Amino acid sequence: MRTETTEIGDARRRVEQLLTALPGESEQLTFEHPWELRAFAVAVAAYHSGQYDWSEFQLALIDAIRRWEGAEQDAPWRYYDRWLEALETVLSGTGVLSGTELDDRTRGSNSCTVQSYAGVPA
Amino acid sequence: MTQVTPSTHIRSEAEIAARVKALESIMIEKGIMTTEAVDRFAEIYENEVGPRLGASVVARAWTDPEFKKRLIDDATTACAEMDIGGLQGEDMVVVEDTDTVHHVIVCTLCSCYPWPTLGLPPNWYKAPAYRSRMVREPRTVLREDFGYDVPDSVEIRVWDSSSEMRYWVLPQRPDGTDGMSEEELAGLVTRDSMIGVGPPKSPSEDQSP
Repeated sequence: MRTETTEIGDARRRVEQLLTALPGESEQLTFEHPWELRAFAVAVAAYHSGQYDWSEFQLALIDAIRRWEGAEQDAPWRYYDRWLEALETVLSGTGVLSGTELDDRTRGSNSCTVQSYAGVPA
Repeated sequence: MTQVTPSTHIRSEAEIAARVKALESIMIEKGIMTTEAVDRFAEIYENEVGPRLGASVVARAWTDPEFKKRLIDDATTACAEMDIGGLQGEDMVVVEDTDTVHHVIVCTLCSCYPWPTLGLPPNWYKAPAYRSRMVREPRTVLREDFGYDVPDSVEIRVWDSSSEMRYWVLPQRPDGTDGMSEEELAGLVTRDSMIGVGPPKSPSEDQSP
């Protein structure tokens, strides 16, 4: 069942008509950094293109969070680190992403990232 | 099946941003998505799907007893009447606050949350501390972390959301709102009141234009 595209489109038009703002909403940003929003949107886009069931992604996310909580961590808690880990896991599971492909590409693109994301409204 | 080995290396913001960008470009090259599609989802979820939709549902439930009955009975179907639904809203359950019971939602495993009505969860909802403490000592967490004092006479029920069941709270209609329209009432409904970590606003404190 992948009918959300139009529902979301409808939701969007409807929200534009709802003028009642909720004050205090902006005090808690959902996304702290542009890459988090991007990682979120890539996961939704991959789901919409039929790469996985959303429940598979959720299970991977639960696993990623559990692993983090079970390990001795020096790193600070960052939810979207786990999100990205889950996304990599499901995309590897379906064979869309191969083991070192992402590592290789990341090294190749490191230099221009910050600038190109700066243009995304956050 | 290739399994991604979780990195033990602590990535800097720049490194992880590069990794996300690389992932996106690989997906685009493979024809799985387009930049436009990613842009669109980013825009919709960041700016447009949000707690205002849930607030409009609550306001209708406050003014229309028949609708409220349907909402408690089957939230997903009742919300669909208002054309509200979609990803992560397939199995929504609305729990109603009364004079004697107050409800709070949490997801102890990850961050399950009713996106179509509440938008995306705030950061604290996803934090390990909230997820574990709210279950153990809800009254204390509500008081200390949210400044919300629930009287001892009111029972607090904590609902653990999952991918199968996404709870959210129908708060009590505030006093002094008898003559208000549905739209005005929606303005009193806060995101926190639908999570259960705060009350809706009272008409006197609603200063929004």
